[in-house]
Amino acid sequence: MSMDKKIEQLAQERQQVLAGGGAKRVAAHKEKGKLTARERIELLLDEASFVEVDPFVKHRAVDFGMDQRQAPGEGVVVGYGTVDGRLIYVSSQDFTVLGGSLGEMHAKKICKVMDMAVQNGAPFVAINESSGARIQEGVDALGGYGDIFYRNTQASGYIPQLSVIMGPCAGGAVYSPALTDFIFMTEGTSQMFITGPQVIKAVTGEDVTLEQLGGAAVHNQTSGVAHFYAASEAETLAQVRRLLSFLPNNNLDEAEFVYTEDDVARQNEELLAIVPEDPNRPYDVHEVVASIVDNGDFMEVQAAYAQNIVIGFARINGRVVGIVANQPKVLAGSLDINASDKASRFIRFCDAFNIPLVTLIDIPGYMPGLNQEYGGIIRHGAKMLYAYSEATVPKISLIMRKAYGGAFLAMCSRALGADAVYAWPTAEIAVMGPEGAANIIFRNDIKNADDPVAVRQEKIEEYRTKFANPYVAAARGMVDDVIDPRDTRRMISNALEANATKRVNRLPKKHGNFPV
Amino acid sequence: MSKKFRITVNGEAYEVEVEDLGGDAPVRRAPVAAPVSVPQPAVAAPAAQPSAPAAKPAPKPAKPAVAGAGDVTAPMPGTILDIKVNVGDSVQSGTTVLILEAMKMENEIAAPAAGTVKAIHVSKGAAVNPGDVLITIG
Repeated sequence: MSMDKKIEQLAQERQQVLAGGGAKRVAAHKEKGKLTARERIELLLDEASFVEVDPFVKHRAVDFGMDQRQAPGEGVVVGYGTVDGRLIYVSSQDFTVLGGSLGEMHAKKICKVMDMAVQNGAPFVAINESSGARIQEGVDALGGYGDIFYRNTQASGYIPQLSVIMGPCAGGAVYSPALTDFIFMTEGTSQMFITGPQVIKAVTGEDVTLEQLGGAAVHNQTSGVAHFYAASEAETLAQVRRLLSFLPNNNLDEAEFVYTEDDVARQNEELLAIVPEDPNRPYDVHEVVASIVDNGDFMEVQAAYAQNIVIGFARINGRVVGIVANQPKVLAGSLDINASDKASRFIRFCDAFNIPLVTLIDIPGYMPGLNQEYGGIIRHGAKMLYAYSEATVPKISLIMRKAYGGAFLAMCSRALGADAVYAWPTAEIAVMGPEGAANIIFRNDIKNADDPVAVRQEKIEEYRTKFANPYVAAARGMVDDVIDPRDTRRMISNALEANATKRVNRLPKKHGNFPV
Repeated sequence: MSKKFRITVNGEAYEVEVEDLGGDAPVRRAPVAAPVSVPQPAVAAPAAQPSAPAAKPAPKPAKPAVAGAGDVTAPMPGTILDIKVNVGDSVQSGTTVLILEAMKMENEIAAPAAGTVKAIHVSKGAAVNPGDVLITIG
């Protein structure tokens, strides 16, 4: 064969792989409003930066007629490219080839780029759209899932791993995304579930649609499985690019510094109006975050789930920070099971990837109630204490108003290793609220009084004046300083700069026992 | 009819009187703890038999039985401080319909959907629990 012929053959072979499941299947796929596996990669990566790996891999299955079936590209496109000039590894399942089903060699392709991502310390993005395990391949397919799960776990905390769900993701397939750091879902076209509607109907008799069972809305609002929600695939991929802009490439790297025109000493005049004087009045803590961070640019994580706590990424004086803030507008900002889960996972991510934590505190306490106690608020709430105590990144805390009891400790108090703790003059830092405390401390005075109601009110005021302020804690050094709210941005920024070179020694051990 | 007994316990004698109430008296038994060391689930696990689904009644969706899509429910235990709407008022999704004092906060409770206030199930000062239906919007 002449060289020309050989090159022509290569072009033909490649063309076959690029065509995926063929024109007919691709057209049917696009009719559902979906992009192809390759189009998704193009949208995700910088233009023309994609380098494909393993396009000619073929499956080895022979049973059930598989020896006769062609699967161009093995139903998954893998390789690397850049996002904003930074190296990213990617896999993208092709639903037009055997339904994107996962077999032995399909899994091998994914594992190969995961290994490359780990070796080169670059983020890994997995775009999922698969009908599940390729049944014809039996245990080889199962083993393939296992190989991916193992790599997800080994890479956890070493490189950022993002999962993008763009179609069905069912059964064992959900556990690779679940092991990664962030899950993105698209409205209407992405679903995640362990058992599908038919199985649920057969076993429990419940009727449920795919969207009700595991759609983007369900996992972003109810289950907390997903972290980001978008209306279209293009929007989802833009969100992935945006999130990557806040993340470092690996655990030894630092997130990109972005020079900002936003004056670090800018006075936060608006904070005086945002936070009501009356401690019983709610407000939206998003406005506080927007006031403090560079250009008000905040990428919220799990915005629709456990809204009583707000988490997300922003920059202060050009450096990326992870924000954790109580939201007085929802459930009074109290900590419950879901909020504890949401925040503690985020804290651990930030710690693993050298992202300093800024905690904004206005918390009345842990949420009371039977369902909370029966649901295990004790072990879930403990996650907050553990995650903050364990974190060695710079930890800056600001007490805006309420800081009561054990829940205040859980919000990165000095005792958990906060590097700087500031309080506004409106702060109330105490073991419990004045109403409850007065009932206990002055029980006899109130009981024996001629007018118990008046005496109780008097004692509440007495307690409030004496303890519901920042100065008792400041007198113990639990608060570094009481600051004018207008100086908040400058003070937090100073603390972040001063702690940028922070080093902490931990006890030599394999790993702690995180209270899951 | 009663009988007297003398019972000696550890060398100490006690006099006990026993009265026979006849056969009609119901026998009351103190509840006896079952000798199990593992907490038993209150509801039996669903049997994994795909052959018998037809006979089973379809369970209600996960939401509380009483609450519908237009119902405003209490998100946490607390006291109704103020009701901002009257029956017949039309509201937008997100409109504050009442104030629930809970967790040291006057929580603004919003309408989950746009519509007309059909019924108000609570009054000022009422104590409510999570899931209680407060207002129905239709």
